[in-house]
Amino acid sequence: MNQSDRSLRSALGRARYLGSARRGAQDSWLTQVSAAALILLATGFVLMLLTLLNKDYNGVRIELGHPIPAILTLLFAMTATFHMHLGMRSIILDYVHGHAREWALVANICFAGAVALACVYAVLRIGFV
Amino acid sequence: MASSDPISPSPAARPLSPHLGIYRFTLTMAMSIAHRITGAGLYVGTLLLAWFLLAASMDASAFAYFSGFIQSIFGRLILIGFTWALFHHLLGGVRHLIMDSGYGMEHPEREHLAQATLIGGLVLTLVVWAIVLAVE
Repeated sequence: MNQSDRSLRSALGRARYLGSARRGAQDSWLTQVSAAALILLATGFVLMLLTLLNKDYNGVRIELGHPIPAILTLLFAMTATFHMHLGMRSIILDYVHGHAREWALVANICFAGAVALACVYAVLRIGFV
Repeated sequence: MASSDPISPSPAARPLSPHLGIYRFTLTMAMSIAHRITGAGLYVGTLLLAWFLLAASMDASAFAYFSGFIQSIFGRLILIGFTWALFHHLLGGVRHLIMDSGYGMEHPEREHLAQATLIGGLVLTLVVWAIVLAVE
């Protein structure tokens, strides 16, 4: 009748990895992997922020200009924005329907991407400019 | 049409499904939605992180503007809320990783994990802000 009936792929092969979200377990797995990384990165970032207390503009720039605080900040910002993109994606897929869903998914990518790029740009600018 | 249905001629009093508004409040249920809400809060809150880093990457006046906001009462409240959301979501994430591994879903353990998430998030927030106030 339709194209899927004439496909050479088995019914199981066509259905596998296509859950209700159409993307199988990929989002959930990536959320868990980035969450595990963020346990260390977020803890380290908060501890680093505590060392910045009482530091002025120049003190903060000197600290963030060092390789380890800079790389920690970059790793934290990139992993956190990736993780939050996946989390908001699952919220959108649960609560938003129809055309609004498409716009919400695009807006989610734009917001998370913009925050990630802003953080990366700022850290590199502190280190190199 | 129930009246003309020969199989069930009288509308007997049958049990109805409970409505969505009728449920027993449980801590695990509250922790579940709190994980989402804190996650969404942190999502918006990353604007503060981007602002902080961008301000430090620009001139001293941009950084002074950021510092002024962060040290105002409003900025402080937002930052304390962000700290709590971060720790609550972090511990909630650890709890989810434990449950995704197949542990801690039986009766006493799941309640203890939910309580540990709630209390741990508040304690870590208090510890961090005690350090902040002690250093300043």
